[in-house]
Amino acid sequence: MAAAPPLLEARGIRKAFPGVLALDDVSFRLGPGEVHALVGENGAGKSTLIKVLTGVYQPDRGELRLGRKQVAFATPLQAQRAGISTIYQEVNLVPQRSVAHNLLLGREPRTRLGVIDLAGLYDAATRTLSQYGIRVDVRRPLRSLGMGAQQMVALARAVSTEARVVIMDEPTSALEPREVDTLFGVIDRLRGQGMAVVYVSHRMEELYRICDRVTVLRDGRLAHTGPLAELDRLKLIAVMLGRDVAEVRERGTTTFSGDHEVRGGPLVEAKGLSRRNLLNDVSVTVRPGEVVGLGGLLGAGRSETAKAIAGAFPVDAGTVLVAGRQAGRATPAARIRAGVSLLPEDRKAEGIVPALSVRDNIALAALPRLSSAGVVSEAKIDRIVDTFVRRLRIKVTSPHQKVSELSGGNQQKVLLARWLATGPKVLLLDEPTRGIDVGAKAEVQALIEELAAEGLGVLLISSDLEELVEGADRVVVLRDGAVVGELAGGQVTESAIITAIAAGGGDD
Amino acid sequence: MTELTAVPVIDKARLLSWLQQYGVYLAVLVLLLFNVLFTPHFLEPANFRTQLIQVAPIVITSLGMALVIGTEGVDLSVGSVMALSSAVVVLYLGYGAGPAIVVALLAGALVGTGGGALVAYVGVQPIVATLALLVGIRGVANVLVPQLREFRNPTLIWLGSTSVAGLPLVVAIAAALTAVVAFVVRRTVFGRQLVAVGSNRAASELSGLPVKRILVSVYAVSGTLAAVAGILATSRLQASDPTSLGLLMELSAITAVVVGGTPLSGGQVRVLGTVMGALLMQLLSATLIKHNLPQSWTQMVQAVIILAAVYAARGRHP
Amino acid sequence: MTSFRTLAVLSLAAVLAAAGCAKGESTASGPEPAAGDGRQVASTPSAAGPACTLEKFGGQPFDLTKDMVGFSQSEKEANPFRIAETKSIKDEARKLGVGNLRVTNAQSQFSKQISDVQQLIAQGAKLLVIAPLNSDGWEPVLAQAKQKKIPIVTIDRKINAEPCTDFLTFIGSDFYEQGRRAADQMIAALGGKGEVAILLGAPGNNVTTDRTKGFKDRVAEKAPGIRITFEQTGEFTREKGQQVTEQLIQSRPGTNGIYAENDEMALGAVTALKGAGKSPGDVKMVSIDGTRAAVQAIVDGWLHAVVESNPRFGPLAFETARKFAGGQEIPANVVISDREYTKENAQSSLGQAY
Repeated sequence: MAAAPPLLEARGIRKAFPGVLALDDVSFRLGPGEVHALVGENGAGKSTLIKVLTGVYQPDRGELRLGRKQVAFATPLQAQRAGISTIYQEVNLVPQRSVAHNLLLGREPRTRLGVIDLAGLYDAATRTLSQYGIRVDVRRPLRSLGMGAQQMVALARAVSTEARVVIMDEPTSALEPREVDTLFGVIDRLRGQGMAVVYVSHRMEELYRICDRVTVLRDGRLAHTGPLAELDRLKLIAVMLGRDVAEVRERGTTTFSGDHEVRGGPLVEAKGLSRRNLLNDVSVTVRPGEVVGLGGLLGAGRSETAKAIAGAFPVDAGTVLVAGRQAGRATPAARIRAGVSLLPEDRKAEGIVPALSVRDNIALAALPRLSSAGVVSEAKIDRIVDTFVRRLRIKVTSPHQKVSELSGGNQQKVLLARWLATGPKVLLLDEPTRGIDVGAKAEVQALIEELAAEGLGVLLISSDLEELVEGADRVVVLRDGAVVGELAGGQVTESAIITAIAAGGGDD
Repeated sequence: MTELTAVPVIDKARLLSWLQQYGVYLAVLVLLLFNVLFTPHFLEPANFRTQLIQVAPIVITSLGMALVIGTEGVDLSVGSVMALSSAVVVLYLGYGAGPAIVVALLAGALVGTGGGALVAYVGVQPIVATLALLVGIRGVANVLVPQLREFRNPTLIWLGSTSVAGLPLVVAIAAALTAVVAFVVRRTVFGRQLVAVGSNRAASELSGLPVKRILVSVYAVSGTLAAVAGILATSRLQASDPTSLGLLMELSAITAVVVGGTPLSGGQVRVLGTVMGALLMQLLSATLIKHNLPQSWTQMVQAVIILAAVYAARGRHP
Repeated sequence: MTSFRTLAVLSLAAVLAAAGCAKGESTASGPEPAAGDGRQVASTPSAAGPACTLEKFGGQPFDLTKDMVGFSQSEKEANPFRIAETKSIKDEARKLGVGNLRVTNAQSQFSKQISDVQQLIAQGAKLLVIAPLNSDGWEPVLAQAKQKKIPIVTIDRKINAEPCTDFLTFIGSDFYEQGRRAADQMIAALGGKGEVAILLGAPGNNVTTDRTKGFKDRVAEKAPGIRITFEQTGEFTREKGQQVTEQLIQSRPGTNGIYAENDEMALGAVTALKGAGKSPGDVKMVSIDGTRAAVQAIVDGWLHAVVESNPRFGPLAFETARKFAGGQEIPANVVISDREYTKENAQSSLGQAY
């Protein structure tokens, strides 16, 4: 392996932005047939490095080599032409057109008359996809496919354009477990063909399933590079965080400490929430100081339950009581006034307001309280923003920085701050740690602890079973929009949750 | 001399971003300088008065347009609303200028509210909803006042021709409205909320913002401002001419907003930039007229400026 | 949803209320023009072009009182010219006892005018009077009319086709001549020298082109002392006329005369002059059309003269048709004689202006 010349190599890369040194003398080697994990906390320099490799940024210093040749990419297109393809979290295709058109966009087979040869197109597309174990009707519009299948099309498109290097940035964040398996199958095949894959993910188990080597970045510098097998999970996290292995071992990989002290009667009671085909008589209760987990697979109705409680998902039947009283009309505004706040799952689509500053994002939901007679009070906003930026340790150059410039973890903290600023009684957290780096994840988990200790009720949705088990006092398991089990105290284990999901009646 | 060649390399994206935000000020400055040097009688106060008077209705309409565009919408009905308010104001002059103006403003607000309701509650795309109004409201205005109608009402004529301390009342009104809109955008809850709605509607809804009410209000404000512009234009012309008044005003307003640095993708409102955008277009047209050059050139230069603005806007989001 | 419905109902109610409660200014309007006043007179009834007869055209005689007559108007009746034009056709038809007159309006859309006329043909019109929006693009209509031998009289604008073959004849003003006569008035007003500005009509319109060329040609041949220093379009509207004039008088204070290619722009210019503190007569103005408001402006001293462009085509159009049906010869162009309004006759002619 070490003998083979690297496919892509970066040497001594330095890239600075005003006020930030994003990459400082970073080197990176990618050999053929290698799946290389690129990890680090947010702000460590991963995305900058990827952008340098793909021609989005030009390095201030250092060189790129493709094979034995030194190269410089002025644009992403040049990098793509040189054989470096990138799969982003969001699929960059044309959703209205057919799968086949998307797959072969710009390279459609033509008839002698120069018209697109449709039969040939569908045929070629079907063949290409089946190579990767994907079986779909290629004539259907791309958008009719699930997110996972769309991503597979994007991947197939990338690797069929004679790519030699494929860079995958959080490719599994929108995928179902079954789709993840398919993806990994494809990656294996690419490896077999001698291609190289750069794999960026926050999901530890995935890294260990698929990656050969790992490069860890920390604060813009190279922290470690080598075979992944030499680094166990604890060590890897320790390297990423720059902490002691012993410290990590002692505190576990989540920062949850165990059970919480539950005080008093129910804070929020959702009873019999129902909506045709989506929710079926779901009831959930959260008491002060309690963290209640919602377990289940994708599409089980977890997000819908949380949104229904928050007034953002219309239900046909069911009531929501907050502190024993009717929680007002089923609108987010009314529920926020009643003390219910929802941190939505899709941070980008439903959470951050990209055009606004960090400060305005934090103040957004609480504006009516931070104003008088419709005129905002800058002093009040400054005070509350200052409080939360400090308390949540949000890393910003100034509160006036655009929120879109922050890393995912910091954006998530901004959203948490937005909700805490409304003075909620209950927090509904939908995947609060998904897609954020290890450090931020630990901080968010610690914050959940802290808030529960202060007497807030927390409803926690997480696909990360470990997080659910360690964080929640009680777990309500959903399946097909209905409650299929409830676990409390010592019953809350990963295997118990999995059993509940599997045993929850019905067949699939 | 050769030492001067070591020019620092300027980051292209940052330059474009700067140009998008402040390019319009630079362009106005350049045009002013050109006129000072090459246009006779340019520095006379009468000239500035003329330009400001002529641009006032465009500025007022553009303010409303900027708010609508801030919500990721567009209001194509403004020109027709100007015609409607012009028709209504002369139709009601029998009750006196005050009541006639109030009714005309209400008419504008009502059309805006209707458009906003279509957008917010029915979910019609802004461009479609307001296009329907563009056609329909012009029709209503033509039915109300089928041909140019002159009026003699001294109050209404006074409104369009008087000056306060050397400043034409029309210009003072435009300036005051600019100040009010700037205040609303910068300092009020409504201003912050409308920008949030334009940047991310789903997030705004989940954050408890009254999204639908905000949208309706924004279009109502745009309609009202267009009505103000229509009334002022009418008072200046001393006649109501719904067939031609405000024709293509929607395009002038959108141009002013875009050239002023407000992105069409919403989430941002640049009030002063918009005013500068309107001034730039006015100065451009005035410059060509004063130098007796064909007005078709104005349109061509405008096209170039719009393209430049759009290009600069693209540079902001690499 | 309910609130939307409420809004819709409210809007509708408000529009109805707006129309219902309207109360306009009570201004003393001038006397209605007496019928027959200001009717058109053909200046060249038989001189221009080869003559056409029923026999040569190949049609059958028609009876105006029984057969259907179609009139296709090009633009909305929103300006005095179009209003007077349509009214004149209708009034004359009533006077002559035309039994079946169908009037259409293309609302300034050429495609609509084509389909309007095609429908009139399909409905069985035996005579077509057309005020064309464009000069070109009439081939499909002309072919259909020719097949059915329907005579077409075009009024106020020409179409590019063969008279007596594709259509019967054109009745209208000579816009070039109007421009020349406006120049004569301007030359007289300025005593043959000075700086003159032109407020052009809408660009790309043959009326604009002819009125400009006529004016310039005449000035060049008769008054070399007059310099045309400024030409900007006012698009035939009062508002643009006002705005362009405001720019003009500020940056070229030496301008002695303004030639406006229609009355609306001239009246806009008057508003601009008033706004700049000028007195009547400070800048000599000549315009074309002869609307009531413009003739009144002559009386008030703001305009020096107005060359008329007579819109009352009714009598001449039907007279031409009657002659044709009766077997008489019809010229290819019936050019009407337009009169002039000046200080001498403005007051007394006010009643005849449209």
